[in-house]
Amino acid sequence: MRATLGILGIALGVGASAVGVFLLALGLARKNLELIRSGRRCIFIVLAAAVIAVGAMEWALLTHDFSLRYVADNNARGTPVLFTITGLWAALEGSILLWVLILAGYLTWMAIRFRSRLEDPMVGWALLVALSVACFFFVFMAVAANPFHVVTGQVPLDGRGPNPLLQNHPLMAFHPPMLYLGYVGFTVPFAFAMAALITGRFGEGWLADTRRTTLVAWGFLSVGIILGAWWSYEVLGWGGYWGWDPVENASLLPWLTGTAFIHSVIVQERRGMLRVWNLSLVLATFCLTILGTFLTRSGVVNSVHAFTQSSIGPWLLTFLGVVTATCLALIAWRADKLHAPGRIDSPVSREAAFLANNLLFTGLAFVVLLGTVFPLVAQALRGNQLSVGEPYFARMTTPIGIGLLFLMAVAPALPWRAASGEVLRRRLLVPAYAGVVAMLLTLVFLSRTLATVLAFGLATFAIVAIARETALAVRSRRTADRGGWIKSFTATVRGNPRRYGGFVVHIGVICIAVALASSGSFGSKREVRLRRNESTVVGGYKVTFVGTHKATTAQKTSVSADLKLSKDGRDLGTYAPAVSSFPNSQEAIGTPSVRTGLIEDVYLTIISAPNARGRVTVGIAVNSMTLWVWIGGGLMAIGTIVAIGPSVRRKIRVRPGARDPSGPPDESIPEESPTVEEVGV
Amino acid sequence: MRRWLPWIVLAVLVVGAIAYASWPRGGEESLSAHTLRIASELRCVDCESLSVADSATQSARATRADIRSRISHGESDSEIRQVYVDRYGETVLLKPSSEGLGALVWALPIAALVLGAGGIVIALRRWGRQPRLAASPEDEALVAQERARQ
Amino acid sequence: MKHPFRWVALAVGVGVCVLAIVLAVTVSTDPHSEQNVSRLVGKRAPAFSVVGLDGKAVTSRSLAGKTVVVNFWNSWCIPCRQEHDALVAWYADHHDDPSIVLLGIVREDTQRAVRDYVNQQGVTWPVAFDPGGKASLDFGTRGQPETYAIGPDGVVAASKYGPVTPNVLDQMVAYAQGTA
Repeated sequence: MRATLGILGIALGVGASAVGVFLLALGLARKNLELIRSGRRCIFIVLAAAVIAVGAMEWALLTHDFSLRYVADNNARGTPVLFTITGLWAALEGSILLWVLILAGYLTWMAIRFRSRLEDPMVGWALLVALSVACFFFVFMAVAANPFHVVTGQVPLDGRGPNPLLQNHPLMAFHPPMLYLGYVGFTVPFAFAMAALITGRFGEGWLADTRRTTLVAWGFLSVGIILGAWWSYEVLGWGGYWGWDPVENASLLPWLTGTAFIHSVIVQERRGMLRVWNLSLVLATFCLTILGTFLTRSGVVNSVHAFTQSSIGPWLLTFLGVVTATCLALIAWRADKLHAPGRIDSPVSREAAFLANNLLFTGLAFVVLLGTVFPLVAQALRGNQLSVGEPYFARMTTPIGIGLLFLMAVAPALPWRAASGEVLRRRLLVPAYAGVVAMLLTLVFLSRTLATVLAFGLATFAIVAIARETALAVRSRRTADRGGWIKSFTATVRGNPRRYGGFVVHIGVICIAVALASSGSFGSKREVRLRRNESTVVGGYKVTFVGTHKATTAQKTSVSADLKLSKDGRDLGTYAPAVSSFPNSQEAIGTPSVRTGLIEDVYLTIISAPNARGRVTVGIAVNSMTLWVWIGGGLMAIGTIVAIGPSVRRKIRVRPGARDPSGPPDESIPEESPTVEEVGV
Repeated sequence: MRRWLPWIVLAVLVVGAIAYASWPRGGEESLSAHTLRIASELRCVDCESLSVADSATQSARATRADIRSRISHGESDSEIRQVYVDRYGETVLLKPSSEGLGALVWALPIAALVLGAGGIVIALRRWGRQPRLAASPEDEALVAQERARQ
Repeated sequence: MKHPFRWVALAVGVGVCVLAIVLAVTVSTDPHSEQNVSRLVGKRAPAFSVVGLDGKAVTSRSLAGKTVVVNFWNSWCIPCRQEHDALVAWYADHHDDPSIVLLGIVREDTQRAVRDYVNQQGVTWPVAFDPGGKASLDFGTRGQPETYAIGPDGVVAASKYGPVTPNVLDQMVAYAQGTA
């Protein structure tokens, strides 16, 4: 019943999307608006189809319908409700369902948002491209990754339950959907970029049409990545949150090119330059999401996240090949029209800084891509196996990261076109000195690691520069409006939400950079064997093993060690890292217990379970500033929300004498001078 | 000259701080730090993409103990690495060696960055030689039209 | 070179094609093909000293001159359970041959679980614990089950990752005895 319903949903999706693609293509070819309208209507059927399929799967999961192979493999009677629901994305087939649902959602959004502009071929083509992507995924699901296979033979009485790692933490409910909202969201700018290439209108129109969606997708992707790091910190138990695992890299790749895009797009909006570059970045971002899915889901790379091997590899590889070839052919075809007039006047200007930013972001993406696929290349070329891991990525990405921090400090203060020495001095000297003071203080009191010293210094530089820019803008607004500080602050932010949203995102990134730098140079880690009531001291924390207790539920059996934590005689409570065994897995899964603090986390794990003589081996790690990674992620989310907010522009009332006469002249040129970026958004 | 003085002082301070930070440190590396350094470059063989330093499996712990005893027996870093390469193949090194095919993974990104930076510099110089574009009357009319529409 | 973008697009296209071919090749081959033979084969077996269930040491020296089949295993790994019957069947045929020894070395498991398993499943061949994982490390094991056949000359003649069958074991022993 549920299987039938689900398969019907998928079939409906295949049909509706194929018909939609056909109608749109015909309508565009014949310039027939009626056909395009009908094609657009198909999108709603596609959404309905996706909802039906996902609904059928969730229904089957919640009712423990083990006649479905997917449910039997990823659910058990003892699985808690939360992890029954998240079972939808606990394995490949289900996660493709989630992908399709999200894609249908974005498609519907497109169909509604642009309903009044259907006669515009750009919109028609964009719908066509996005619908084709949906069509591929529906067919892919119907043929290669069907989640509604029925078990052969007798229906099992109980299922195997999800992979133990995937039913161990509530973050599982948020990390994959967020990540997919990000991944899939990039389909919208991709569709418009393709449409721009096809229609030959690669001015700034498609940018304006997709600006918000791109930011939304980027924000979701950022949050998804951070949540993934958090999940791995809370669940995997090795004490870190980023291991340069192929799956982590796969999510980082589109984020890097997407980040490059949302910066370089500003140059195109302002100056009409970098058209091909921006198109290429959007196309590359989409291709990288597919490449990432291929790499991680087809089993070509070993990874903690890799689902079992399946036949989906060739499908995704073919799709990737077709998409890439189409993109490149379109760019080559349109080459003669793509050249944009314009020039960059000075290497010391905002646009030049954006160029440098793009160089570093794409360089970073290249490093990550190369490091991820290099083992495959080496094996294919020479048949020998080699690994590329954390030490390589750390060595290569640290200098680029430092360079990006530097740009983040300098660039927002640079004026467009060209900067005079006077402007530089006024805008940057104080923040730069603040940075140097931070560097020296770090050297003297904290650490002599070069990367850490530079990161702390540049972070301070960037924060002070942002604070200075904001404070000056708020002050001049306050003098102009004669309002209070808070009112002026909100007015300033709402006057240019994109700039100040960007600042908030930057502050978030700085938090993460500082956390990464300090986790590299501070902290300590030990493994200790403890008898009952025995204590040890690690990094100033006293850990006492108090006892063990055992808990059995239908889901799992856990043994935990109660560890009393204190510092300088102050009791910090009892923490209980555990080892759990799940009915479907013979191997025990450790669950760390973390005491989170603003400066330091104490990360406790069980290394070997309490033995017959009551001894336990525990891992005790003191990690530095980990909390700031999550705070930074939150700030990035808030910043993105601010940035997509509507711009409430100040009514220009010319009141002679209202301007602060002492205000520096370059400051009074508002950042929000009317440009393309406000037209049509 | 006086205009540049604050920047020169800044540059001197930064260069000084960097030099001090990267100056070789005196003092022996402790045995556990040394073990950890080598362990962090070896892949834990029975867990995916974690280093021996980060993993808590029995084999990783045995490897750490082995590295520790080899260090105290006076084996050099490269000798210890070689023992593990002989045992498991090059796949055990998380940092591919900079010889042979492995050199590509180090050289390509640097080459790409240098090329990219070179391209930007050349483009900037070419732009610098071009005359500035002046707005034609048509452009002005378009802008005026757009302004009027708002 | 009128339109440099064409050339750039072409260059990128070539790069992507190469990568795609590489990926396609990799997808179609077994990713672990090279790993299927241990690097130990053809070399002297590492000296080991493990502790039997009775608490007595079993050392490589005490087994010198015999053909030794070392099987790394534990109680929780599913492939180990799969190969259990094969080991039982093979050992039934060879347990009275004094020149052949089958030795199970426990990898990553607790004593209690192993003893329970041995009692319940009827493991009749010698089983030993590997304190500190030293033997498992010296053999270069990556997981379990892994099986090594050591000849009377002390040289590792054959290895197998993953579950064995009686035929495979016979073949490994034949290599070790130089009769293959």
